[in-house]
Amino acid sequence: MPKTFEEINEKIAAKRAVVVTAEEMIGVVEEKGAKKAAETVDVVTTGTFGPMCSSGAQINVGHPTPRMKIQKAWLNGVPAQAGLAAVDLYVGASALPEDDPANKVFPGRFAYGGGHVIEDLVRGKDVLLEARAYGTDEYPRTKLETLINLASVNRAILLNPRNAYQNYNVAVNASVSRPLYTYLGVLLPKRSNANYATAGQLSPLLNDPFYRTIGVGTRIFLGGGTGYVFFAGSQHDPTVKRTKQGVPVEGAGTLSVTGDLKGMSADFLRGVSVRGYGASLAVGIGVPIPVLDEEMARFTAVRDEDILAPVVDYGTDYAENTGKVLARVSYAALRSGTIEVDGKKVRTASVSSVPKAREIAEALKRRIEAGDFRLGKPVETLPGPGEGESMRPLVIRPPSTTAGGLSPPRTQRIEGG
Amino acid sequence: MQKSVILHFPRTLLDKPIISHIVKTFDVEMNILQAAIMPEEAGHMFSILRGGEKAVQETLAFLERLKVRVLFPARNLVLHEEKCVHCGACVGPCRTGALSVDPETRRVSFDSERCIACNLCIPACAYGAIESVSEHLRAANGFLEDGPSGEPMPPSGAGSLSPSSA
Repeated sequence: MPKTFEEINEKIAAKRAVVVTAEEMIGVVEEKGAKKAAETVDVVTTGTFGPMCSSGAQINVGHPTPRMKIQKAWLNGVPAQAGLAAVDLYVGASALPEDDPANKVFPGRFAYGGGHVIEDLVRGKDVLLEARAYGTDEYPRTKLETLINLASVNRAILLNPRNAYQNYNVAVNASVSRPLYTYLGVLLPKRSNANYATAGQLSPLLNDPFYRTIGVGTRIFLGGGTGYVFFAGSQHDPTVKRTKQGVPVEGAGTLSVTGDLKGMSADFLRGVSVRGYGASLAVGIGVPIPVLDEEMARFTAVRDEDILAPVVDYGTDYAENTGKVLARVSYAALRSGTIEVDGKKVRTASVSSVPKAREIAEALKRRIEAGDFRLGKPVETLPGPGEGESMRPLVIRPPSTTAGGLSPPRTQRIEGG
Repeated sequence: MQKSVILHFPRTLLDKPIISHIVKTFDVEMNILQAAIMPEEAGHMFSILRGGEKAVQETLAFLERLKVRVLFPARNLVLHEEKCVHCGACVGPCRTGALSVDPETRRVSFDSERCIACNLCIPACAYGAIESVSEHLRAANGFLEDGPSGEPMPPSGAGSLSPSSA
């Protein structure tokens, strides 16, 4: 008889829930079979920790006296997006100070960006807020310079459009005769090394491949505190090819997540400087998966050897969107330290931390066992293969001067062209 | 025994004869490889201590009491263990196996005996956990020198790559 979210939450409240991590579940299902495992185990916890560039903090700094309608803002010199009412700001993980040299001397350092601002806030450090405004009758202030910190601001939340990618590329350099500097690290020429990400068998969405239990309202471990899935993440694509077990063979689903920054910790939120690529934020996420039935038991017992990832050339194919895949390798092979691409042995390295992923799955397990964490039953599950859309590229359409009787855009008129 | 150390001296110790005290009192040799005193009068030094094990321990305890910040470089690297998240990205470029991932725990460890100081691991770490000794000292030099990418490095007592260092 299948279990429900409500039944499992009742057991959690009574501190009687049986909780295991996604790695422990592999052993349980091997030993007892999926049917028995589904009867015994209530919740499987998952975890992942790695750079997640589509992340940011949404901060309401509070109203100064006299009031100000902030038009431009900087946090420790990093531009924060204003244009959200008077005192709401958003700082993106990859935002850089305007005077950051970036890649002018290649490869650039990107020593301090939005992700580092967020880490500083979580650490309780003072951050300099500078702001400018055009001034209105009721918001007369035009300049602001003040120190703020996480405790002093009115509210700060993490608001991440795309986190926890369900699978991802394995990057090699097969076409450029110098090292490439990418978000998957340094790639040496002639396919000398391969870098990969995700937590594999511990990864949240790889443990619920068709998103049966995950969607809007799912309560999660986020950055050391508690968060929620608020939508399918940007670029969520359930339509990709899958193995017979339903595991996608390339990047597929994603999560949009949010949570109060005040409960979070720099153990699971870290500013990162990726050489030659940019600044970002490493985020720790853990999603609890209810073992509703035998199928969920089978899904949560997925192993690294069952998960295949595409090897992609980041020298030419990635930038040119060719979609070419050089090989598909399992996470077991990736973790062994060597994979084979076109008959050649290639050394591998991960940019995602398995020890942190394990720590997160364990921490979430303890919270649930202690009755401190109830499962959030989704209001809507994430779109699955039949319901979701494939990722659409941006097709470039240059604005024209005469088509459809549209007048030329302002810049063309000024330049007379 | 020999111990490589990087010492960061606060400006309050500017006029104290610390090195000669160590040599005389603890009978420890100090081979000074690099040293600088900065405009704001803090100082730093890269040195190899040599002496009996007890003597070296006493020296380190003495420096700690004086609030001198002591770092222990491994080969030519300064490893900031508290910044490491054990992702394993640094292991990829390491040709000698000096950096390796434990197959069970998936934690990263460094065997300085195998390190050939090629420096390929340094750009691979996005968390600021790996610096070369010379970069660390250059950063500590403040505006005396350009930083490794040609940009002026701000004075920072910690000398690590990110201003977010604890």
